[in-house]
Amino acid sequence: MFARFSMLAVVALLASGCSNTSPVLGSKNISYGDTKAVETVTNEFGSTDLQMIAESMTRSLAQSGILQGRPVVQVYDVKNKTSEYIDTREITTSIKTQLMKTGTARFASDNTDMQSQVDQLKLQNQSGLYKKSTVSKTGNMVAAKYRLEGSISSIVKRSSDYKDVFYKFSLQLVDVESGLAEWMDEKEIRKTTER
Amino acid sequence: MRHFILGALALVLLAGCATPPPPEPGSAASKIVVMGKFKGIAVGAIRVARENGFLTAKVQLSNITSSNQTMYYRFAWLGADGFPVGDEETWKVLSLYANQATFLPAIANLPQAADFRLEVKTP
Repeated sequence: MFARFSMLAVVALLASGCSNTSPVLGSKNISYGDTKAVETVTNEFGSTDLQMIAESMTRSLAQSGILQGRPVVQVYDVKNKTSEYIDTREITTSIKTQLMKTGTARFASDNTDMQSQVDQLKLQNQSGLYKKSTVSKTGNMVAAKYRLEGSISSIVKRSSDYKDVFYKFSLQLVDVESGLAEWMDEKEIRKTTER
Repeated sequence: MRHFILGALALVLLAGCATPPPPEPGSAASKIVVMGKFKGIAVGAIRVARENGFLTAKVQLSNITSSNQTMYYRFAWLGADGFPVGDEETWKVLSLYANQATFLPAIANLPQAADFRLEVKTP
């Protein structure tokens, strides 16, 4: 009896010793990294470039003093004039998000959101499905005072030893009524790879 | 024996002096956080101002070596309570030529920022 009990105790002890107390499940080759780290895996447009551009542009615009009284801004897509595929919408989304957090501007539905906005208004007003008192009325959308538009271009040079990529990101805030550019800034990035 | 004791005492006193005093609150040194290694670059004057509601800073950096240096940096913006405001900044790279001195400009992420720390690191 004692021997059987001892055996069971030893098995239980071994089993508890083997149990995984780590909150990690899976391969040790996969790890989570710092999303804010400087990424130099290749010299193509990367996460650090996107974050640096968004940070630099947002702060320059927010601190410029032009956005007095939280004006309504319409964001246009950034024109990609580089030879690479760059999801420029992510740049504008980051700029928009960061500006929104500063509380200095409000944003009108941009070209991609507009269809959803119109569809929702039509659905609420024309379908007859909704209680009248809760329906959002048409004709009350707020028009943008400014439009924010930009472009990204690159100059790529290669030799047998080097590859040099120079990115230039430009952003401007234009007064819709007057057509005047009220604010403008640029961010330049140089990335060189030595073979 | 007396000489030995005096020598030991002097050593103990010197060792005590060798520990740098902690930076005074509000001083330029108190705003710099060295992440691991930071060699060959000296941090000089810091200018802080509030412009259009946002805290702005300019930090003087000098390469004190005769070779080009690279450093990594980011600003951490703090509220009046000393706690971080907004999201963390991305790390950035700065290249300094031999003996070059430059000013690092920065604008706070949010109007609520009242202070900052500059996190620095050399490769």
